[in-house]
Amino acid sequence: MPPDPNAGRAENELSELLSVGFPAQPEAIGGVTDAITGILIDLKVPEQKQLEIALAVQEALVNAVVHGCKSDPSKQVRCRLQSDPLGRIVITVTDPGPGFSPDLLSDPKRQENLYADHGRGVYLIRQLMDEVSFERRGNEIRMWKY
Amino acid sequence: MGPAVDSLRQILDESLGSGDSRFVLNLAEVPMIDSTGIGLLVRFLASTKQRSGDIKLVQPSKFAVQTLRLVGVLNLFEIFDNDDAAVESFA
Repeated sequence: MPPDPNAGRAENELSELLSVGFPAQPEAIGGVTDAITGILIDLKVPEQKQLEIALAVQEALVNAVVHGCKSDPSKQVRCRLQSDPLGRIVITVTDPGPGFSPDLLSDPKRQENLYADHGRGVYLIRQLMDEVSFERRGNEIRMWKY
Repeated sequence: MGPAVDSLRQILDESLGSGDSRFVLNLAEVPMIDSTGIGLLVRFLASTKQRSGDIKLVQPSKFAVQTLRLVGVLNLFEIFDNDDAAVESFA
Protein backbone atom coordinates (compact mmCIF):
# COMPACT_ATOMS: atom_id res chain seq x y z
CA MET A 1 0.00 0.00 0.00
CA PRO A 2 1.52 3.39 -0.95
CA PRO A 3 2.30 5.78 1.93
CA ASP A 4 -0.48 8.15 2.85
CA PRO A 5 0.71 11.66 1.88
CA ASN A 6 -1.60 13.09 4.49
CA ALA A 7 -0.18 11.01 7.35
CA GLY A 8 0.29 13.25 10.34
CA ARG A 9 -1.56 16.04 8.60
CA ALA A 10 -5.20 15.66 9.56
CA GLU A 11 -7.38 18.37 8.08
CA ASN A 12 -8.52 19.45 11.54
CA GLU A 13 -4.91 20.21 12.50
CA LEU A 14 -4.55 22.80 9.76
CA SER A 15 -5.08 26.45 10.62
CA GLU A 16 -6.84 28.51 7.99
CA LEU A 17 -4.81 31.60 7.17
CA LEU A 18 -6.50 32.71 3.97
CA SER A 19 -9.35 31.49 1.82
CA VAL A 20 -10.30 33.55 -1.20
CA GLY A 21 -12.25 33.15 -4.38
CA PHE A 22 -11.64 35.52 -7.24
CA PRO A 23 -12.76 35.92 -10.85
CA ALA A 24 -10.51 34.14 -13.30
CA GLN A 25 -8.74 37.12 -14.77
CA PRO A 26 -4.95 37.60 -14.80
CA GLU A 27 -5.08 41.03 -13.18
CA ALA A 28 -6.58 39.50 -10.05
CA ILE A 29 -3.60 37.24 -9.40
CA GLY A 30 -1.25 39.87 -8.02
CA GLY A 31 -3.59 40.77 -5.19
CA VAL A 32 -3.79 37.17 -4.03
CA THR A 33 -0.02 36.62 -4.13
CA ASP A 34 0.50 39.90 -2.27
CA ALA A 35 -1.95 38.81 0.42
CA ILE A 36 -0.16 35.48 0.80
CA THR A 37 3.24 37.17 0.96
CA GLY A 38 1.95 39.49 3.66
CA ILE A 39 0.84 36.53 5.74
CA LEU A 40 4.16 34.77 5.25
CA ILE A 41 5.96 37.91 6.43
CA ASP A 42 3.73 38.05 9.52
CA LEU A 43 4.58 34.41 10.18
CA LYS A 44 8.27 35.33 9.92
CA VAL A 45 8.84 32.79 7.18
CA PRO A 46 12.45 33.26 5.95
CA GLU A 47 12.70 35.44 2.87
CA GLN A 48 14.03 32.73 0.59
CA LYS A 49 11.05 30.52 1.44
CA GLN A 50 8.69 33.46 0.99
CA LEU A 51 9.98 33.93 -2.56
CA GLU A 52 9.75 30.24 -3.37
CA ILE A 53 6.20 29.99 -2.07
CA ALA A 54 5.14 33.23 -3.76
CA LEU A 55 6.46 32.10 -7.13
CA ALA A 56 4.90 28.65 -6.83
CA VAL A 57 1.55 30.21 -5.91
CA GLN A 58 1.86 32.64 -8.82
CA GLU A 59 2.46 29.75 -11.20
CA ALA A 60 -0.48 27.77 -9.81
CA LEU A 61 -2.83 30.73 -10.01
CA VAL A 62 -1.79 31.53 -13.58
CA ASN A 63 -2.43 27.92 -14.56
CA ALA A 64 -5.84 27.97 -12.90
CA VAL A 65 -6.84 31.28 -14.48
CA VAL A 66 -5.38 30.82 -17.96
CA HIS A 67 -5.61 27.07 -18.52
CA GLY A 68 -8.31 26.03 -16.11
CA CYS A 69 -10.68 28.92 -16.71
CA LYS A 70 -9.47 30.30 -20.09
CA SER A 71 -9.30 33.72 -18.36
CA ASP A 72 -13.09 33.79 -18.13
CA PRO A 73 -13.95 36.23 -15.33
CA SER A 74 -17.36 34.60 -14.89
CA LYS A 75 -15.51 31.64 -13.41
CA GLN A 76 -14.00 31.59 -9.94
CA VAL A 77 -10.61 30.38 -8.81
CA ARG A 78 -10.16 29.49 -5.16
CA CYS A 79 -6.97 29.80 -3.21
CA ARG A 80 -6.47 28.58 0.34
CA LEU A 81 -3.47 29.07 2.60
CA GLN A 82 -3.13 26.91 5.70
CA SER A 83 -0.49 25.94 8.19
CA ASP A 84 -0.05 22.99 10.49
CA PRO A 85 1.16 22.90 14.11
CA LEU A 86 4.72 22.30 12.89
CA GLY A 87 4.67 25.50 10.85
CA ARG A 88 4.41 23.75 7.53
CA ILE A 89 2.56 25.74 4.90
CA VAL A 90 0.03 24.28 2.48
CA ILE A 91 -1.57 26.15 -0.40
CA THR A 92 -4.48 24.77 -2.38
CA VAL A 93 -5.59 26.26 -5.69
CA THR A 94 -8.79 25.04 -7.29
CA ASP A 95 -10.45 25.93 -10.57
CA PRO A 96 -13.71 24.72 -12.17
CA GLY A 97 -11.99 23.66 -15.39
CA PRO A 98 -11.87 20.20 -16.94
CA GLY A 99 -8.58 19.34 -15.26
CA PHE A 100 -5.51 17.84 -16.85
CA SER A 101 -2.99 15.07 -16.39
CA PRO A 102 0.30 16.40 -15.03
CA ASP A 103 1.98 13.17 -16.14
CA LEU A 104 1.50 14.23 -19.74
CA LEU A 105 3.55 17.40 -19.39
CA SER A 106 6.82 17.48 -21.25
CA ASP A 107 10.15 17.97 -19.48
CA PRO A 108 11.15 21.61 -19.97
CA LYS A 109 14.81 20.76 -19.35
CA ARG A 110 15.07 18.49 -22.35
CA GLN A 111 17.24 20.06 -25.05
CA GLU A 112 14.38 20.30 -27.55
CA ASN A 113 12.27 22.23 -25.04
CA LEU A 114 14.79 24.73 -23.72
CA TYR A 115 13.69 27.50 -26.08
CA ALA A 116 9.98 26.78 -25.70
CA ASP A 117 7.96 29.81 -24.64
CA HIS A 118 5.72 27.79 -22.33
CA GLY A 119 5.55 24.57 -20.34
CA ARG A 120 7.61 25.38 -17.25
CA GLY A 121 4.96 26.28 -14.69
CA VAL A 122 4.23 22.89 -13.11
CA TYR A 123 7.88 21.92 -13.29
CA LEU A 124 8.82 25.08 -11.39
CA ILE A 125 6.17 24.44 -8.76
CA ARG A 126 7.56 20.96 -8.16
CA GLN A 127 11.07 22.36 -7.79
CA LEU A 128 10.08 25.20 -5.45
CA MET A 129 7.75 23.32 -3.12
CA ASP A 130 8.52 20.28 -0.98
CA GLU A 131 5.45 18.32 -1.92
CA VAL A 132 2.92 18.77 -4.72
CA SER A 133 -0.21 16.80 -5.47
CA PHE A 134 -3.00 17.12 -7.97
CA GLU A 135 -6.55 16.25 -6.97
CA ARG A 136 -9.97 16.20 -8.61
CA ARG A 137 -8.91 15.33 -12.17
CA GLY A 138 -6.08 17.82 -11.98
CA ASN A 139 -8.04 21.00 -11.35
CA GLU A 140 -6.87 21.25 -7.80
CA ILE A 141 -3.25 21.54 -6.82
CA ARG A 142 -1.98 21.20 -3.29
CA MET A 143 1.50 22.47 -2.47
CA TRP A 144 3.41 21.96 0.77
CA LYS A 145 6.42 23.89 2.01
CA TYR A 146 8.15 22.52 5.12
CA MET B 1 2.85 37.36 -16.29
CA GLY B 2 1.12 40.67 -16.32
CA PRO B 3 1.73 44.21 -17.57
CA ALA B 4 5.51 44.05 -17.13
CA VAL B 5 5.84 40.98 -19.33
CA ASP B 6 3.39 42.39 -21.87
CA SER B 7 5.36 45.62 -22.00
CA LEU B 8 8.67 43.81 -22.45
CA ARG B 9 7.20 41.61 -25.15
CA GLN B 10 6.00 44.68 -27.05
CA ILE B 11 9.34 46.42 -26.76
CA LEU B 12 11.26 43.37 -27.91
CA ASP B 13 8.83 42.73 -30.77
CA GLU B 14 9.15 46.31 -32.00
CA SER B 15 12.91 46.35 -31.63
CA LEU B 16 13.38 43.07 -33.43
CA GLY B 17 11.05 44.30 -36.13
CA SER B 18 13.22 47.39 -36.51
CA GLY B 19 16.27 45.23 -37.07
CA ASP B 20 17.78 45.28 -33.57
CA SER B 21 19.22 41.99 -32.43
CA ARG B 22 21.47 42.93 -29.50
CA PHE B 23 19.84 43.57 -26.18
CA VAL B 24 21.01 44.30 -22.65
CA LEU B 25 18.32 43.60 -20.08
CA ASN B 26 18.84 45.12 -16.64
CA LEU B 27 17.01 43.00 -14.07
CA ALA B 28 18.13 44.83 -10.94
CA GLU B 29 14.57 45.90 -10.14
CA VAL B 30 13.03 42.50 -10.91
CA PRO B 31 12.71 40.43 -7.71
CA MET B 32 11.45 37.31 -9.44
CA ILE B 33 10.87 35.89 -12.90
CA ASP B 34 7.97 33.53 -13.48
CA SER B 35 7.61 30.92 -16.20
CA THR B 36 5.85 33.39 -18.49
CA GLY B 37 8.79 35.76 -18.21
CA ILE B 38 11.25 32.95 -18.77
CA GLY B 39 9.35 31.81 -21.83
CA LEU B 40 9.51 35.32 -23.21
CA LEU B 41 13.24 35.61 -22.56
CA VAL B 42 14.17 32.34 -24.22
CA ARG B 43 11.85 32.91 -27.18
CA PHE B 44 13.43 36.26 -27.88
CA LEU B 45 16.89 34.89 -27.19
CA ALA B 46 16.29 32.36 -29.95
CA SER B 47 15.11 35.14 -32.27
CA THR B 48 18.15 37.31 -31.56
CA LYS B 49 20.56 34.43 -32.05
CA GLN B 50 18.97 33.69 -35.43
CA ARG B 51 19.94 37.26 -36.32
CA SER B 52 23.49 36.80 -34.92
CA GLY B 53 22.56 38.84 -31.89
CA ASP B 54 22.00 38.07 -28.21
CA ILE B 55 20.22 39.09 -25.02
CA LYS B 56 22.56 39.76 -22.08
CA LEU B 57 21.31 39.99 -18.51
CA VAL B 58 22.50 42.54 -15.96
CA GLN B 59 22.21 42.15 -12.19
CA PRO B 60 19.55 39.47 -12.00
CA SER B 61 18.55 38.86 -8.38
CA LYS B 62 19.81 35.78 -6.57
CA PHE B 63 16.31 34.34 -6.76
CA ALA B 64 15.98 35.07 -10.46
CA VAL B 65 19.27 33.27 -11.07
CA GLN B 66 18.04 30.35 -8.99
CA THR B 67 14.84 30.18 -11.00
CA LEU B 68 16.62 30.32 -14.35
CA ARG B 69 18.92 27.57 -13.15
CA LEU B 70 16.01 25.42 -11.91
CA VAL B 71 14.45 25.30 -15.37
CA GLY B 72 17.75 24.74 -17.08
CA VAL B 73 18.09 27.99 -19.03
CA LEU B 74 20.62 29.93 -16.95
CA ASN B 75 23.51 28.80 -19.15
CA LEU B 76 21.79 30.18 -22.23
CA PHE B 77 22.49 33.71 -21.01
CA GLU B 78 25.57 35.76 -20.26
CA ILE B 79 25.24 37.67 -17.02
CA PHE B 80 26.96 40.93 -16.11
CA ASP B 81 27.29 43.17 -13.06
CA ASN B 82 26.60 46.38 -14.95
CA ASP B 83 25.18 47.70 -18.20
CA ASP B 84 28.51 48.95 -19.56
CA ALA B 85 30.18 45.57 -19.28
CA ALA B 86 27.24 43.93 -21.03
CA VAL B 87 27.30 46.48 -23.85
CA GLU B 88 31.08 46.15 -24.25
CA SER B 89 30.77 42.40 -24.55
CA PHE B 90 29.03 42.88 -27.90
CA ALA B 91 32.14 44.51 -29.34
